[in-house]
Amino acid sequence: MFASHAGDPSSPRSRELPAGLADRVRPATPVAGRTLPVPPPLAPLFPGGSLRRGTTTTVAGQPGHGATTLALALLAAASTAGSWCAAVGLPDPGVVAAAGLGLDLRRVVFVPHPGSGWAEAAGDLLSGVDAVLVRPPGRARLTAARHLGARARERQAALVVLLEGAGAWPEGGDLALSVGAVEWEGVGRGHGHLRGRRAEVRVSGRRAAGRLAECSLWLPAGSGAVAVADDGPEAA
Amino acid sequence: MERLVVIWCPELLEEGTRGEEARRFARVLARAGELCPWVHPVRLGVGALPARGPARFFGGEEAVVSRLAEVVDEEAGIGVADGLFAALLAARSALIVPPGGTADFLGPWSVATLARPDLAVTLQRLGVTTLGQFAALPAASISDRFGADAAACHAVARGESGELAGLRDRSIERRLRVARGEDPDRGADVPPPPSQPGFFGGASEADARAARSFVRVQERLGIEAVLMGRLQSGRDPAGQSVLVPWGSPEADTGPSGAPWPGRLPPPAPSDVLQVPLRADVADAGGRAVEVSGRGLLTAGLERLSVDGGPWQPVVGWAGPWPVTERWWSVRRRRARLQVVTADGVARLLCSERGQWWVEALYD
Repeated sequence: MFASHAGDPSSPRSRELPAGLADRVRPATPVAGRTLPVPPPLAPLFPGGSLRRGTTTTVAGQPGHGATTLALALLAAASTAGSWCAAVGLPDPGVVAAAGLGLDLRRVVFVPHPGSGWAEAAGDLLSGVDAVLVRPPGRARLTAARHLGARARERQAALVVLLEGAGAWPEGGDLALSVGAVEWEGVGRGHGHLRGRRAEVRVSGRRAAGRLAECSLWLPAGSGAVAVADDGPEAA
Repeated sequence: MERLVVIWCPELLEEGTRGEEARRFARVLARAGELCPWVHPVRLGVGALPARGPARFFGGEEAVVSRLAEVVDEEAGIGVADGLFAALLAARSALIVPPGGTADFLGPWSVATLARPDLAVTLQRLGVTTLGQFAALPAASISDRFGADAAACHAVARGESGELAGLRDRSIERRLRVARGEDPDRGADVPPPPSQPGFFGGASEADARAARSFVRVQERLGIEAVLMGRLQSGRDPAGQSVLVPWGSPEADTGPSGAPWPGRLPPPAPSDVLQVPLRADVADAGGRAVEVSGRGLLTAGLERLSVDGGPWQPVVGWAGPWPVTERWWSVRRRRARLQVVTADGVARLLCSERGQWWVEALYD
């Protein structure tokens, strides 16, 4: 189980370098390449199975239906691979839930109350980290959306926009995920405990062509992480 | 491992503004010391003594514990186990762990009790949440991968060692001398141990770039605007984690290492409300549902209203789970309930003195 650990210093990149140089340099970014990893259960939603740097992904759903969980989960694998991530405008972030989804808390900053400066803060962070999750306080202005999309492309960071209820992102996203029907399992009338939420997640958007249009996920499963909903909530 | 009795005084663990905790703790040690001459301080509010001699003298470990409980005139948990680490946990639960039973006793406790936040987060990623699961990992891979301190933690989890860096406060003797009005520099003072180094070494260019962007956001919105989450001990979702300003010393400090009895099983709620919302719950007849003195609901839940909003049908609920906010002293009795409404939304409710609150959402 230790073989896949994120702290492994022997990255492929340092092994390609000439002898004698490899131990004197270190990669400028811990995650090389043009993509950021996503947790395996979410990979089928993404072209190439990963979150592409420079793109905007929107995550939408009715309030309380799991859009926050899905958006946070998109940062999990990137943070454990060493990428810095930021979450802007989540007013009451559940840190235990974030850890349960697999986020490495040492690589994630929260800006819970950016107020009217949310777009500027997200823009600053797109220059510094690999993935920024932003929840606009209402309907975002077109100029703000364009600015952030351009900044993400320019800095090769991934922008994830969390939209609640009827919220919309004026630019659209390269990829749009939306949480549809949900159902909690585990509670009866006075017994059990919440074990998992089965959710139908749909994919659309400019880069969605050829993708699985819809999949069924535990959002989250009983472990606190996301899982494919073929099996029971304890399977993950 | 030496068999130890630990006296744990929950009200004296932290120095208050008036500084009387050290004086009261010195008095605890003095009174216990009249009974057994080998009592020594571990840290503020925690004292220990070897169990064997007093147990022979008083006729068993139970007798030692009850005699100590009589003479200590502070709220105290007293426990006995092999090694300091297990004896500390035993004292918090007022338990006598049988000789040789340390590994079994430690098994169900969270890895967070080791007070190594980096290690706890890393282990959690590997699916290792309890000391028993940690103990089951091969010792060789632990020291190779995580270093000597983690190897020491592993030995503790396996019940092979009872000492861990940070368990003992080496400045406590000096503080007690000050509290007793003695010359604090009579004995040699030992500097505090250095803080725990990061697992993955120093800062890279990516770290520096990220740090610059955090500073820009701080300049824009204030120092407190950029926060990092830290897991810590606690019973409720709000108490199990803390958000601390990025770059502050708190961002590098670990949890206090307490257990969390009454903790809800995962998954944890995605939104932990900083300001809870008032809630009303009603039964089929429209009467308010409360938690009885025996920790049961007075009726089945049928409807929920949040913050004075419209009534929503309840399709399922679980609990109540009684939670004592300070479980060692019975200060605040609360009860928690998970409630799912017909719109598919799950909430964590808390009842205190007849009033319901929404504490967290599962968004």
